[in-house]
Amino acid sequence: MTSTCDIVLGHDFPDLAVDRRHVVVSFVVGRLGVLPGPMRLGVSVVATLVAGVRTLGGDGVIVRLSRMALPLVGEYFRLLRSLSYAYIWETWPDTTPTGAESRTRTVP
Amino acid sequence: MTLTCDVLVIGSGAGGAPTAALLAEAGLDVIVAEEGSFVEQGSIVPFSLEQMNRQYRGGGVTVALGRPSIAYTEGRCAGGGTEVNSGLYRQPPTDVVARWREGWRIDDLDPDDVATLAAEVEAALSVQPLPGPAGEPSLALQRGADRLGWKSDESPRWMTYPEGDPRRGQRQSMTRTYLPRAERAGARLVYDCRVDRLEFRGDRATVAHVTHHDGRRDTIRFRDVFVCAGAIHTPALLQRSRLRRNIGHTLAVHPTVKLAARFADPINVPDDVPVHQVKEFAPDLSFGGSASHSGLVALALLDNWRDFGSAVVDWPNIAVYYAAITSEGRGRVISLPGTTDPLVTYRLTARDRALLAQGLERLSMLLLEAGATDVFPSYRDAPRVRDRRSLARISSTFGADKASVMTVHLCSTVPMGEDRDKCGASSHGRVHDTVNVYVNDASLLPDAPGVNPQGSVMSIAIRNARHFLTEARRG
Repeated sequence: MTSTCDIVLGHDFPDLAVDRRHVVVSFVVGRLGVLPGPMRLGVSVVATLVAGVRTLGGDGVIVRLSRMALPLVGEYFRLLRSLSYAYIWETWPDTTPTGAESRTRTVP
Repeated sequence: MTLTCDVLVIGSGAGGAPTAALLAEAGLDVIVAEEGSFVEQGSIVPFSLEQMNRQYRGGGVTVALGRPSIAYTEGRCAGGGTEVNSGLYRQPPTDVVARWREGWRIDDLDPDDVATLAAEVEAALSVQPLPGPAGEPSLALQRGADRLGWKSDESPRWMTYPEGDPRRGQRQSMTRTYLPRAERAGARLVYDCRVDRLEFRGDRATVAHVTHHDGRRDTIRFRDVFVCAGAIHTPALLQRSRLRRNIGHTLAVHPTVKLAARFADPINVPDDVPVHQVKEFAPDLSFGGSASHSGLVALALLDNWRDFGSAVVDWPNIAVYYAAITSEGRGRVISLPGTTDPLVTYRLTARDRALLAQGLERLSMLLLEAGATDVFPSYRDAPRVRDRRSLARISSTFGADKASVMTVHLCSTVPMGEDRDKCGASSHGRVHDTVNVYVNDASLLPDAPGVNPQGSVMSIAIRNARHFLTEARRG
């Protein structure tokens, strides 16, 4: 789970500082650890499958997989992203969409 | 260690707290067992991840599996959901109460009596409108509705406002109202104490097996027990205690979809929710505002981050809104061996899916009328809506399976009534085929009421507690 989350965040937020990324990953993994029992079991199964796929295909496969709307697997990646994105912008509200720190607000 | 009492109340939320207060005030020896901790109000930022960590079950990450899965949240703390919800109040709708009475054959359920009980709840919780103008996200809802000629109103809240400041409301949740009443009357409140199962002798429950936060195990002996652990964990506990008939089969919720709306000027209020709701299409469809701090804005933009993500830097100008439906779908709560957490499922019907699409489209229209420059619906591949012409793209691209569907209103898993083909409990909450096990929370509501259910839950809980006392006096 830790490495999968790290890969996804590294791809989604190329400008997110490494120390921040580690904090986010640690938060996400902590939250997954307190999921209700059946959900935790399901997430563990999917996480193990995804880790197996990574062993065969490398980090790039994880990124591609995370963008696909597959049943269960898609929900697993959505869960990782939901927790990560909520944490990033609640903790550092001035973060840019690429993960960089910024105090300049822009209106597209 | 074994504790002993007249009545064990399991759970301290909107059902358990008034139950405990009324029974203790009547002179019964009451123990309240609450799985969560006591958290002082005001010590945590509302709607924050920290609050989810300390006061929600599973850190706020709980899901009813289905296509789509529906995220839900449950309070798990002293006071239950009343400590963490929006604090908005709606009376039990009289037509809904009448429909419940007929459809589930509920004895003594007079809509006028329920209205009287609701008035009692309103007085106890200081239910009132804001003493001043609402926040801008709320006024935007009202403005959009007015321009479209749609009905909207301000939902009162169970809050007090020191010095009349509408921005400094103090929630009159269970830890501020009914739990102190229970304690003053002698009830013992035991926090961080999960009830694992009830033990039976014939049709009478006699002992609750509990586990404390530190792993210690105890038993609590009682004469009667009220299970008020909420619509998920009440049926789960009953199932673990081998009570299964019509228990956990009919979960009802208000499925909800969201969007983020950006305005030209700052609108975001991070620590509160709008009080206005749009009822033009109620009860099928209702619109309101959600918590909108920066993290939740990011969450609302997440499903189409590639196209919407750039807006996140403008979160002070963004507020999150919801469209909620009354659903024809139903779900199940299934207790599994080896875990205290049940498996929860929910299935939306085709009508539910169509209604969710309609809800997002109409809510987007309303927010454009209110002055939003962009609307970002929360589903995969959603269009950015900037004008009325682009509204039609919602109905052509929306699919419930692509949306972030969620709910906070869970009920109906042990419906009350005399129709034994579909009811798990009697007209006053006693679990069928038992003599002393009562349910007294949202599980009893026969279906989702189409409005915030806390007023309904509390009114019914008071009704049932009083009926229990009347029966007890008769011996």
